[in-house]
Amino acid sequence: MKKIDLHIHTVKTAIDSEFTFSIDSFKQYVTDLEIDVVAVTNHNLFDASQFRMIQQEISAQVFPGIEINLGSGHLLLISDGADLSSFDAKCTQVSDKIRNVTDSISVEELKSIFGNLSDYLLISHYEKSPVIKASDFMELLPYISVGEVDSAKKFVRTMRDDEKLCPVIFSDARMKKGMTKLPMRQTFIDCGEVTLSAIKSCFKDKGKVFLSKQDGNKLFQIFEDGQHISTGLNVILGERSSGKTYTLDRLSNSFDRVKYIRQFDLVQKSDEDDEKRFNSEVQRNRSRFVDEYLSGFRSIVDEVLKIDIDKDDKDISEYVKTLLKSAEEADRRDAFSRVKLYDELLFSISSNDGLKDLIASVIHLIENTEYRSVIESHVQLSSLKSLAVELIQKLWAKTDQDRNRKHVNSTIKDVKDRLRMRTAATHIESTDMYELSLNKRKISRFNEIAQALKKEGIIFDEPVQGFRILASKGPFTQASEMSSAIKRQAAFKEAIVAYDNPYAFLQVLKKHEKIDGSDIHRLFVRITYRIINKDGSDVSGGERSEFRLLQEIKDAQNYDMLLLDEPESSFDNKFLNKDVNSIIKSISKEMPVIVVTHNNNVGASIIPDYVLYAQKSIEDEQNKYRLFSGYPTDKQLVCVDGNKLNNHDILLNSLEAGIDVYDDRRRIYETVKN
Amino acid sequence: MMTGGEFMKLLRIENHLGQFLTKDGSYHIIDEITKDNLLWIMERVLDSTGELEPYDEEKIKNQAHQVVYKSLYNNLKALEERRQEFIDESERLYLEDYKKYVEDASQQGGARDASSH
Repeated sequence: MKKIDLHIHTVKTAIDSEFTFSIDSFKQYVTDLEIDVVAVTNHNLFDASQFRMIQQEISAQVFPGIEINLGSGHLLLISDGADLSSFDAKCTQVSDKIRNVTDSISVEELKSIFGNLSDYLLISHYEKSPVIKASDFMELLPYISVGEVDSAKKFVRTMRDDEKLCPVIFSDARMKKGMTKLPMRQTFIDCGEVTLSAIKSCFKDKGKVFLSKQDGNKLFQIFEDGQHISTGLNVILGERSSGKTYTLDRLSNSFDRVKYIRQFDLVQKSDEDDEKRFNSEVQRNRSRFVDEYLSGFRSIVDEVLKIDIDKDDKDISEYVKTLLKSAEEADRRDAFSRVKLYDELLFSISSNDGLKDLIASVIHLIENTEYRSVIESHVQLSSLKSLAVELIQKLWAKTDQDRNRKHVNSTIKDVKDRLRMRTAATHIESTDMYELSLNKRKISRFNEIAQALKKEGIIFDEPVQGFRILASKGPFTQASEMSSAIKRQAAFKEAIVAYDNPYAFLQVLKKHEKIDGSDIHRLFVRITYRIINKDGSDVSGGERSEFRLLQEIKDAQNYDMLLLDEPESSFDNKFLNKDVNSIIKSISKEMPVIVVTHNNNVGASIIPDYVLYAQKSIEDEQNKYRLFSGYPTDKQLVCVDGNKLNNHDILLNSLEAGIDVYDDRRRIYETVKN
Repeated sequence: MMTGGEFMKLLRIENHLGQFLTKDGSYHIIDEITKDNLLWIMERVLDSTGELEPYDEEKIKNQAHQVVYKSLYNNLKALEERRQEFIDESERLYLEDYKKYVEDASQQGGARDASSH
C-alpha cells in the first residue's frame, strides 16, 4: 500500500497567496506522514531546477507536474519525468499563455502543447472548486484517470457512486516556511512498484484506492500522530476534563466546512429570550419564502407609488376650467388664437409592449424544440413564421408612425407655444385621458389585490422533523405590529387609520419619513409564524431546543463533517434515543460524525462505527492526553503510541458509571420487575 | 348605456346646442360640464356603453359651444380609438399577481406548501 499526494505547491504564483517555499517543511511533511509518492504541481508553471533539487532532497518518489487553468476549472497534469527538459519546455508554453489569474487555456491548446495526453496522468478537480466545465470534462474524459475531491465525505460518496470517476484526495498544500499544521489529505493505493503507469493502472480500479492504509475507506487520518477516525459515526467517550472537547476543537481547526454543535449551544437559557431568538431564527430561515410570496405585490406597490393621482386630478380640472374659459372668449378670438393649430390636440402614442410580447411569444413557439411535434400538430411552422413576419412588419409600421407622430407633436407644440405668446386668449391645457384612465384602473386593481392579501390565510405549511411551521397572513390590527414587520421603530398610529383604504394608506406611508420604500409592501399584510408540535399545539421551551437541534443536525448536510458535543446536556433520553439517534445515524452514512457523550442512550444505543476514548494522565508532573480508538467490537482500544485499554471496561465506566454501579442498577431493575 | 336597444349618446347636438349626458340620464348644455361629468363620460367611452356624436360646426350655432364640443369630442374620440388597447392593457394589469393573491386566495384560502417553492 502506498501513500500518495500528487497535488503539492512549491512556488508562489499569481494565484497563490504569499508564501516562501521551504524544503525542510516538505521533508518534514513527507517524513512525518510517511508519504511514499508526491507530485509537484504549481499553478501554470514548472520550475525544473527547483524540481531537481526537491527530487534529491526528498525521500519519497517525486513526479513533475503542473496545475493548469483550463477554461474555468483546474486540471493536474503529471509526467513520468523521463524527459524533464521536454516537459519543462511544454510547461513554459502554458506559462506564456497564462500570465494573469483570469487567463486560461482551452482543451485544444492543451492538446497542441502536450501532444498525446495518454502519456500523462490527468487529474481533474472533481468535487472541488474550481471544477472544469462539463464540455471540457467530456472531451478530456478518455484521458482523465481520477477526480480530485477535498473531503473524506466527498471521497466516500464519490467512491460509492458507480457512475462517478475514482476519487482521490490530496493536500493541495503549500510547502512553506513556518508550516505549523501538516495537511491530512492523502490517498492510499494498492500498488507494488511506483511508476506513473502503475499508478494510472491502479486508478482504473476503485478497489485499489483508499482513504486509509489498513481500513480501506472505513477510516481516515485526522491528526499528524496517525490518529484515524471512521468516515461514518464516531463516539468519543471519556471522563470529565479528559480532552474530549479539546479533540473536537482540534478537528474543527484542522478541517474545512465543519459543522460544530457545541455543548449547551441549544439549551434554553431564559424562556422569553429563547422564544424570541427561536422565532427570529425560524423567521429568518423562512423569510425567503415570504419574500417570494410577496414579490409580486412588491412590484405592484413600486408601480402604484409612481402614480401621482393628485396631478392627474389637477390636470383634468385645469383642462375643463381652461376649456370653459376659452369658450367664453370664443367671440373675442384674435388672429393668433383662431389659427387651427392653436386648439389642435397632440397625437397620443400608444405603447408597443403588447405587440412586442406577442412577437416574442410567436418566436418562442417557432424556436421551441422540446415541444416542436406538439406545436406542429396544431400549427404549421411556416404559418407561425408568416405570422411572426406580419407582426414584425406591424411593429415596424407602428414604430414609423410613432416616430412621425412624435415629430408632428413637437411641431404642433412649437407652433402652439409661439401662438400663445402672441395672443391673450386662454390656452386649453392638455390632458392625457388614456393615461389618467389607466392610472385609475391600476389603483382599483391595487386596492382589490391589497384587500385580498390581507385576508386570513396560510402562506405555507412546512413539515419539519415531526414539527410543522406555519406562516399565516392576515390584517394588522395594531400600529405596534407594523413596526415589528419592518424591524424598525416608527410611529404608525396615524397611518393605521387609513389601513382599510389601501391606496390612501399607501399615500400616508409614502410620506412617512421613517419608512424605506423597499419596506412599504410589508405593511399591508401581517405575516406570523407558528411552530406546532405533533399534537397541533404550540411548542414548549424544551421542544424548541429539540427542534433547533434537529435543524442544526439537518443543516450539517451542507458541511463535510459534523461535531456534536454532549447532546445529552440539553435533552432528555427519550428524545435522544428516538429522534436524535436516528438522525445522527442517517447523517453518518453521508459524512463523518463525531459525538462526544457520557450518556448510554447516545453512546451505546446509537451503535457507532468507531469508538474513541479520551484519557488524561499525569506523567512526569505533566498532563498527558491520549486517545484510544477501535471498532466497537474490538476487545482493546489502541492509542497511536501503542498503549492499549480494555474496551469493555471503558464502555461500562464511561456510560454506566462502572461495573459495580451497573450491576447494582441491573439488580434494582430486576427486583422491581419481579 | 342603452335605451331601447340603442347606445345613449354621451355627446350630442340637439336643437343646434351641444349637450352631454350625465350619470342620471339627463342631458345638459355643453358649457356646464364639470370635471366629474367628464370623468364619468371617459369611463363610459372605455366600457363601450355610449357613443359620441361627431362634431359638426354647421350644426352648432353658439361659438362657445363649438369650442367646448370640438375639444371634448376630439379628446374623447382619441380615447375611444384606443379602447381596445385599454381593455387589453387593463386585463393584463398585474394579472399574474391578481390570480395569485385574489383568485387563489378565494379558492383555497391561499395555502401553499413551502417545499413546493
